[in-house]
Amino acid sequence: MVQAEVLTPATADELVAALARATPHTRLLAGGTDLVRDIRRPGHEPDVLVDLTGVREFAGVRLDGDLLRVGALTTFTELQHDPLVREHALCLALAAAQVGSVQIRNAGTVGGNVANASPCADSATALTALDAAVVSIDGAGVTRTRPIGDVLLGPNRTSLRDDEAIIEFAFPALGPEYRTAFTKVGSRTAVSVARLSAALVMRFDAVSATLADVRVALGAVGATAFRDGAVEALLEGRPADAEAARVLADGCVAAVSGSIPDRPSLPYKRHAAAGLAYDSWNALALCPPCEPAWG
Amino acid sequence: MELLLTVNGSLYEVNVHPTARLLDVLREDLGFTGTKEGCAEGECGACTVLVDGKAVASCVMLAVQARGKEIVTVEGLARDGELDLLQQKFVEYGAVQCGFCTPGMLMSAKALLLANPVPSDQDIRVALAGNLCRCTGYSAIIAAVKAASGQEATPLMELPGAAEELAAEVQTDPDTLAAAREAAEKIAGLGPAPHGEA
Amino acid sequence: MTDDLRFVGGSYPVHDVAQKVTGELVYGSDFSLPGMLHAKLVLSAVPHGIVKRIDVSRAEALPGVVKVFTCFNSPMDRFCRARIHPGQDLATHDETLFSEHVRFVGDRVAAVVASSRAVAEAGAALVEVEYEELPPLLTVEVALAREDVPIHPAGNVAYEFEVEKGARPDLDGAVVVSSSTTTPRTHHGALEPHVCIAQGFTSGGMTVWTISQGAYAARTVIAELLHLEYHRVRVVKVPMGGSFGGKTEYIVEPVVAFLAHALRRPVKLLLDREECIAATMVRPATATTIRTACSASGELLDFEAASTLDSGAYASSTPDYSIHMCKKVTKLYRLPHYHHRSRAVLTTTPVGGAARGWGAPEIAAATEIHMDRVAAALRMDPVEFRLKNLVLPHDTDLVTGLPLGDARVRECLERGAVAFDWAARRARPAGRGRYRRGVGVACGAHKNGMFGAFPEASNMALKMNEDGTFELSASLHDPGCGVVTTMKVIVAEVLGIHPDLIAAGEADTSTTPFDYGTYGSRMTYVVGACARATAEKVKTRLLAAAADLLEEPVERLHVVDGTVRVREDDERAIAYRDIALLSGMRHLPEISASLTYYAVSNPASYSVQFAEVEVDCATGLTAVTDFLAVGDVGRAINRGMCEAQFQGAVQMGIGYALYEHVDIDAAGRSGVDGFKNYHMVNAPDMPDVQVLLVEHDGDDGPFGAKSVGEIATVPTAPAVVNAVNNALDTQLSDLPLTPERVVAALAAKSGEA
Repeated sequence: MVQAEVLTPATADELVAALARATPHTRLLAGGTDLVRDIRRPGHEPDVLVDLTGVREFAGVRLDGDLLRVGALTTFTELQHDPLVREHALCLALAAAQVGSVQIRNAGTVGGNVANASPCADSATALTALDAAVVSIDGAGVTRTRPIGDVLLGPNRTSLRDDEAIIEFAFPALGPEYRTAFTKVGSRTAVSVARLSAALVMRFDAVSATLADVRVALGAVGATAFRDGAVEALLEGRPADAEAARVLADGCVAAVSGSIPDRPSLPYKRHAAAGLAYDSWNALALCPPCEPAWG
Repeated sequence: MELLLTVNGSLYEVNVHPTARLLDVLREDLGFTGTKEGCAEGECGACTVLVDGKAVASCVMLAVQARGKEIVTVEGLARDGELDLLQQKFVEYGAVQCGFCTPGMLMSAKALLLANPVPSDQDIRVALAGNLCRCTGYSAIIAAVKAASGQEATPLMELPGAAEELAAEVQTDPDTLAAAREAAEKIAGLGPAPHGEA
Repeated sequence: MTDDLRFVGGSYPVHDVAQKVTGELVYGSDFSLPGMLHAKLVLSAVPHGIVKRIDVSRAEALPGVVKVFTCFNSPMDRFCRARIHPGQDLATHDETLFSEHVRFVGDRVAAVVASSRAVAEAGAALVEVEYEELPPLLTVEVALAREDVPIHPAGNVAYEFEVEKGARPDLDGAVVVSSSTTTPRTHHGALEPHVCIAQGFTSGGMTVWTISQGAYAARTVIAELLHLEYHRVRVVKVPMGGSFGGKTEYIVEPVVAFLAHALRRPVKLLLDREECIAATMVRPATATTIRTACSASGELLDFEAASTLDSGAYASSTPDYSIHMCKKVTKLYRLPHYHHRSRAVLTTTPVGGAARGWGAPEIAAATEIHMDRVAAALRMDPVEFRLKNLVLPHDTDLVTGLPLGDARVRECLERGAVAFDWAARRARPAGRGRYRRGVGVACGAHKNGMFGAFPEASNMALKMNEDGTFELSASLHDPGCGVVTTMKVIVAEVLGIHPDLIAAGEADTSTTPFDYGTYGSRMTYVVGACARATAEKVKTRLLAAAADLLEEPVERLHVVDGTVRVREDDERAIAYRDIALLSGMRHLPEISASLTYYAVSNPASYSVQFAEVEVDCATGLTAVTDFLAVGDVGRAINRGMCEAQFQGAVQMGIGYALYEHVDIDAAGRSGVDGFKNYHMVNAPDMPDVQVLLVEHDGDDGPFGAKSVGEIATVPTAPAVVNAVNNALDTQLSDLPLTPERVVAALAAKSGEA
């Protein structure tokens, strides 16, 4: 039977050397929570399996000037509790906290989650709202930095090449004047793939009492997570009040309708999108909690 | 490929297929069948083990990734024949029925108590969210974990072994025994017992 | 009610708990023998078709593959996976080891036997199958319409049943209410997958290690299939990780026995979760319409129902199921006239069969949702309406003509309503906000064994060892709910020694006396009664031996804590150990007895359950915020386990109401393939379940005990559904109440686009 060759690099250089060996049948292993099942299916054993988890320099979170750099091998448990993430990118910590179960969070990595490119990936929604750039390295040692929207192409499809590994996510660290939220609707309270997710990032200008740098990302309602530019434009410069909540909700509903017009799940997701929007808005705690009429 | 693994405090050398899961190596190569396979996709928690003190689903972890880490399975909980407090409480609180989820539950609970020695109900539910049980409805399990953290409710059940102690104490008074022996001799001399039919 | 019981009513862990908490217990899936081979099934990829060609050459060329068995090189004798006894009337022999006519995605086409599980899986992937496809019949409606496409030679109706009892009274001025309820196909969800190990000996006999719930019955099916005399086939029950009915039938046993016999080797087949969900057995989907008439003051006058069951690809237990769905309502409600037709229809979908409750949860869902509608039509409180119509103790079941026994369902409802603060909670308005609360109630009835419909007896043997401990020999099948412990407690009570001093194992056809198995809610009521009677017989001999040794008349003796004592003279006591020693060496070789117990009655067990829910109108998700389960159980033999059974049963029932369904897509494939998309209630979503046991120890069970394990899950789902309908002022009746269905119902109410 085919036996994969397992490479276990411990440094960036060793990683590059390992990636240089990659073929179209090579797989890159991080936490394994998605990959292990896949490579054990008959006929799916890779020729080369690169275990990334030994390259510890790509795990962990650090502040680099204005940027927050999140190592691709950081686990969800680590993200959930990391003080830098909680301070400068709370929506990512909140997203991490809602991925699967404790067991999954202890092993699963943010890099693996993005590389797997499920349309429902929770971290992708948060990273999209954070305007994250994906830093990757390839078998030639070349580092590339691209917006996450250029890496995620569709369900389980990325622009990463066979010999390319995500090593880091970088994005502007959010200062104290920013509020963020991450909300998810699953099939049950905990341990559920998202049916919809939303990540909000916005700066609240205390002087003008208005919103700025508004970012609204939606997940699980399209081929990939995406930013809802239309609703962002409508919210830009608005006061943070119940009307803004309504604008957000209407905008999210419209975005969902536009994104999955032909799906049987559309009526449900449109309806739930409003709830998602209100929950996300209320989590920002910019004004007293808002509620629409629920009919 | 050759692999050195530390499991339950001991070092083992195994020769495994590169894509062997930690679950397979524990069960088949090392004979630790306490860790169970319920779903093979990391959803049911029956395969939960501790890896460096953290609960991990061993069915979605490759054995090769366990190199250099401390693995603890359910077999590693009891010490010198003494049940871990968690195991005792699972018995006392009726938290075990078919028992298939039990090893995974114990390991998730163990990981929780290592990090959070006095957890709330909610903490316990979150810690066990990835451990499915179809028999108990979780209440007894949650109560057992709380009890193991010093937050006792009323224990329901006895630990096994109590009965043996009781039985050993049951003696026949020497005089009665002597008389009974005599009676038995008498009956033996009289032939087969009158009530000796099947 | 006697309160001087020493052991009955206490709380005991399951008998093998020490091995379970240490991971030592060897379950079927852990079982291994030297030289054991591993099998992997090749399953049909099409929902309906004829296998034209199977190419096993690539598979057999794989190093480690021993052989591939298919419909073309294996016997094609037909068997019935649900048959209890060769002599029984109702058993559809419609299944073969491998199917040439495949009838669902998941039907067995071939089995690869290899040196390891991994090689067997790799080999199975290399087997090439060519099908001539036939039209798939994926729903009951399509199957009935397409009689030109018979799934089995006799057509697409597996069974039809009708019962009509009583006389329809004058319905002038009666309030007539109709309802229609559907229940889904569900997966039993036992944590351990299906497994079987068999060893074929060169001499031709074999041993089968099974997790099925009827070892003797499995033996008859296996032996007949392999043309072996029964005495050359030994079937042993091994510890199992749950069943809930999903392992009652012989799904994997026949094929594994065949492989072991053909190869004269030990062979193990362990299914994965995907195979367990789609290719073993599901709880059958049902649809029931009910029409009732009642007086303006709320007395039920007439009950008309029609139920259709989706049998899936093979008849299995659904013929029996369809009968039993018609036998529950009259255990619960006093009705002048009852008419129920049922039909089990074959479809090219996963096989529907035995599941916890055996039709009772399905019909309770329909009935209890319906009764709430009747109460609403009468503007009566649901509890009040039910109290007007529930049976009274010692009523007769209109359908079976059997006495219902000490039926305490009214008391369960009355006491439960008080404990749950029903009136106050029901009076609270649900509101029009995003989160709406509601409460619901439902009643359920179930039986205690097969008496009245099927021969009902059990056999046991009990002996005292030389040291005063005891051995119970009985064909027990413990799915993990404490069956073995229950028997030990019963014997312990009679003999006056601690249950832990009594050994009891599980079924082994070569050594344990015949019993049918664990199903039909017969374990406590019938098998437990057998245990009591057997223990009484041994006690008689024990006392007689002690009488001789103490030189006292038997009437002056009693058993206390492992000794036989003279009444009112505690000083004169002889330990069992000494009775054994003296009797053994002197005149009695063994103090033992064997006994056949014949059941004499079949009363009903009852449960009334109350649910409080909070529905999120934005997401459609329902949280069960409070739950009370009341059980008329006669007497709890093992109190702690009895309560625990209710808690677990409620978990299953909440899943039935809100989350669980196995849907089949247009290509005949199951839409769920694992726990990632088949959601059972997990710890965060499980409410604290209060359990209230009503115990009047009437009837003929041991110490007055009645069945628990199945009745506990019967009314759960409708209690939850009724609560949701109360919260939302809707009339949802298609289970499960998924978020989509809830949102759609709300939208329909508010006239949203």
